[in-house]
Amino acid sequence: MDRYLADLGLIAPELVLTLLSLVVLVWDLVTKGRDSRQVAYLSLAGLGVVAYLLLGQWGDLAATGGKAETVAFGMVTIDAFGTFFKLFTVGSLAVVILFVLADRRERKHGIGEYYFLLLGAGIGVFFMVSTNNLLLLMLGLELLSLASYSLAGFHKSERRSAEASMKYVIFGGLSAGIMLYGISLLYGLTGTIDLNEMGIADGSGWPVGLAAQFAQDPVPVAVAIVLILAGFAYKVSVVPFHFWTPDVYEGAPTPVTTFLAVASKAAGFAVLLRFVGALFLVEGVDSTVAAYGERIGLLIAILAAVTMTLGNLSALRQTSMKRMLAYSSIAHAGYVLMGLAAMTPAGFSAAMFYLAAYYFMNLGAFGFLLYFEGVNKSEDIDALKGMGWKAPVVSIVMVAFLVSLTGLPPTVGFYGKLLLFYEGVDAGLGWLVLIAALNSVVSLFYYFRIAKALFLSEPAEREAEPQPFFTGFLALLGVGTILFGIYTEPLQNWSETGTDSLGIAEASE
Amino acid sequence: MDHILSWICFLPLIGMTAVILAPKGNNTLVKAISLVATGVPFLLATWLYFSFDKTTASYQFVQRFDWIPLLGAQYYVGIDGLSIALIFLTTLLLFIAVPASFSIEKAQKAYYALLLLLEVGILGVFISLDYFLFYVFWEIMLLPMYFLIGIWGGPRREYAAIKFFLYTLTGSVLMLVAIVALRLDSGTFSIPEMMNLARSGQLTGASLPGGGQLIGLEFATWIFWFLFIGFAIKVPVFPFHTWLPDAHVQAPTPISVILAGILLKLGGYGMLRACFPLVPTAFRESCFALGVLGVVSIVYGAYVALGQTDFKRMVAYSSVSHMGYVLLGFAALTEWGYYGAATQMFNHGTSSAVMFLVVGVIYDRAHHRDLNGFGGLAQVMPRYWALTTLGFFAAMGLPGLAGFVSEAMTLVGAYSAPDPVFKLFVLISVIGLVITAAFLLWAIQRVFLGNLNEKYKDYTDMSPREIFCQAPLLFLCVVLGIFPFFLLDWMEPSVVQMVDFLKTAGS
Repeated sequence: MDRYLADLGLIAPELVLTLLSLVVLVWDLVTKGRDSRQVAYLSLAGLGVVAYLLLGQWGDLAATGGKAETVAFGMVTIDAFGTFFKLFTVGSLAVVILFVLADRRERKHGIGEYYFLLLGAGIGVFFMVSTNNLLLLMLGLELLSLASYSLAGFHKSERRSAEASMKYVIFGGLSAGIMLYGISLLYGLTGTIDLNEMGIADGSGWPVGLAAQFAQDPVPVAVAIVLILAGFAYKVSVVPFHFWTPDVYEGAPTPVTTFLAVASKAAGFAVLLRFVGALFLVEGVDSTVAAYGERIGLLIAILAAVTMTLGNLSALRQTSMKRMLAYSSIAHAGYVLMGLAAMTPAGFSAAMFYLAAYYFMNLGAFGFLLYFEGVNKSEDIDALKGMGWKAPVVSIVMVAFLVSLTGLPPTVGFYGKLLLFYEGVDAGLGWLVLIAALNSVVSLFYYFRIAKALFLSEPAEREAEPQPFFTGFLALLGVGTILFGIYTEPLQNWSETGTDSLGIAEASE
Repeated sequence: MDHILSWICFLPLIGMTAVILAPKGNNTLVKAISLVATGVPFLLATWLYFSFDKTTASYQFVQRFDWIPLLGAQYYVGIDGLSIALIFLTTLLLFIAVPASFSIEKAQKAYYALLLLLEVGILGVFISLDYFLFYVFWEIMLLPMYFLIGIWGGPRREYAAIKFFLYTLTGSVLMLVAIVALRLDSGTFSIPEMMNLARSGQLTGASLPGGGQLIGLEFATWIFWFLFIGFAIKVPVFPFHTWLPDAHVQAPTPISVILAGILLKLGGYGMLRACFPLVPTAFRESCFALGVLGVVSIVYGAYVALGQTDFKRMVAYSSVSHMGYVLLGFAALTEWGYYGAATQMFNHGTSSAVMFLVVGVIYDRAHHRDLNGFGGLAQVMPRYWALTTLGFFAAMGLPGLAGFVSEAMTLVGAYSAPDPVFKLFVLISVIGLVITAAFLLWAIQRVFLGNLNEKYKDYTDMSPREIFCQAPLLFLCVVLGIFPFFLLDWMEPSVVQMVDFLKTAGS
């Protein structure tokens, strides 16, 4: 009994978040029609509690080297890696809720379920990132997806929002099916749905490890793994599974787009890293499996190169800023994949650092988009012409985000890219690093179209109504973008602690 | 005075903060702050110049502490004979750029804030001895430059600004890849420590996977060319020069002055500090190619300048030609060549700045720059005529003026290079010298001599502010032409050591 109580303590953040979502739902029902902002404040307060619990957990885990503790008969794994991404999610959810509050095109009444759905998606992410069990992983992923489908179509009377939701459901359903098929194959081959057991178990008993299967016939295992990877690739919008991204990002309400581009994508990367790490790189992995891991690494490297190049080239032609940011987020997925392709612990933590960097700069960029959607009633880059002189603070902060997204110092985006380059060269992926470096130049061209529109045109005739609170918040993100580019230690320590907890072995030279 | 380099570098940043915080609409205050924030570093740099120890080649005024221990990046600054003169030049030109900007009316607060940020970036590059720090400062320069050209420039400013940004960023990212590989192989970002490893032939990529090869090239080869292209775009060396005429023509006068006077020097300085000495073997193998690029830049730049009708475009192309001497001097790998190249960087900094100021003076009055549209201005603007002629003669390399000393030394250095083909290079370069004289004299003739155009008969001569901007630069052109040891003595130990290093290291 004590054991179960102790377990409940470990999943306290999940429990509180679930409870919070239910309270939000009931509160909204009881006070139907009243000001929905109360619901938002309640959600924010609840997220504060969750963040507090997570930070406490992080402290405990970091003190013991971030090692994993399992709950519920091994279904849930509490480790620093998962907690890193939970904190990331809570942070993103809080920002997204603030964005909903600041969204001038959104109603202020009767949107309580907006917050409920966001929190529900958060619960999905929480379970997704803290399990080695493919079944729970799938459940978490589906919870996230279902909530996201509804959120994307939240403005159901708007044609493009409905279209986005529909597209998202179809693509999402297809990819979930493919992934589930892969999981079932893997289960059939190995007799287990636990990633750790698959990676380490040898061929002598039941369950059968991957090593024995590879030795016998590598084809079915490879097919299963590629199918599962395809499911993750869809979630993080890697080419060629990216086709839904621009349309869904463009059609969904901007705060939802922000959630999809930041929290949902990071969650996808979390499971991708954990999956690849647990199967191919974990301490004590069989050498045959590790050898196949290298091929998977090469496959990921090629996908990374294609993803960043295609994302950047497509972004060049966009006239809508929202669509441009969608393509840019595809390109960034390619950069993060570089860290994964390195197939080293340091590469993984570089990928995590880059995601943390991505948090600041991308939330900032989407916040800016939301700000000017409210001012201009348009997402067009041309509508920004000369507005930099009318809303100087938010525009200057935006330049900081753009600099960071391009990867120029002294910003967190630069440092993240540097770490990725560093680990890439160290892993012998010099060609990929060169492609990524040249991609930065391409991205400069479209990112600075925004800066050009803001400042290089003559001051606009219109005035921008001041939004001091929102401006201040974006400025805060801007300070984070620059500060963590100069003082990088905390973020770097956090990502390294997170990676350590995955138990990945140092690459043997 | 342990932290003097940091003070010089970061005072403009404090000035920038003050400019941003200054009350709205008080442009006089903004200008005053900018004058102080560039003037004090200039005074400090002057003090630095005269308290510099000329007898040693080791780094001076060093400051070093850990910045990002997890990556091994340090705040490591120091100067030697290669950087001291350029730091002085930077602070001087920025101090001149402020009064030269007083005629700018648009968004003055933003303008001066960006100008001061630009100074931080430039000075940071000259004092950095840590490659990470060097790169951070190198990139910080790009953003203010983009906006300074893009907001306050001419009609095609948007095109010119993004072209400048894209070109230099392409070079920078290639540099970044090379820096990452160097850091991985050497285990440090410190440039002097990398040089020590290179001296004993240990910086060969042996510790990297695949021996450090990239796209089929040997480690030293690709590192050298990636770094070289990064710096060559900045210089700019033919064929990477095409951003320069656009950027120059569109940029406002003070920004052109800084661009030609200092930013181009960063390319040459960067090669000498952070490219050649890290991969000396690859550098020695490439000397011939660099010599060819240098000669082509000299002759091609001058020849194209001859064909220009836009005054500013002509001056811009003359920069390509003059910076070619720097590359030729480097490629020669003789002490004279390096003295010549190093002094040429300084002297071109003063003479090209004067030439752009000259263009600015007439553009402010006539609002066009068509060389064929003037004539006889000497009659109404005698002081302007005199100063212009002096500046042009300095650029032309007339004996007794600074340009002569550096160009002559470069050519002598190249002539005495061990490879006989450099004698041919010198012969070809002399053609460039003649063409340079031709287009400069022809420009003077078209603008100042002949019949006075009626439109211009009411023009006022140069104002005291305009004279103040040019006078110190012309003074340096004359003094350094007669007493070149004011530069040479300072750089001697460092140049001797560097040439010796480049000749012998790694073999």
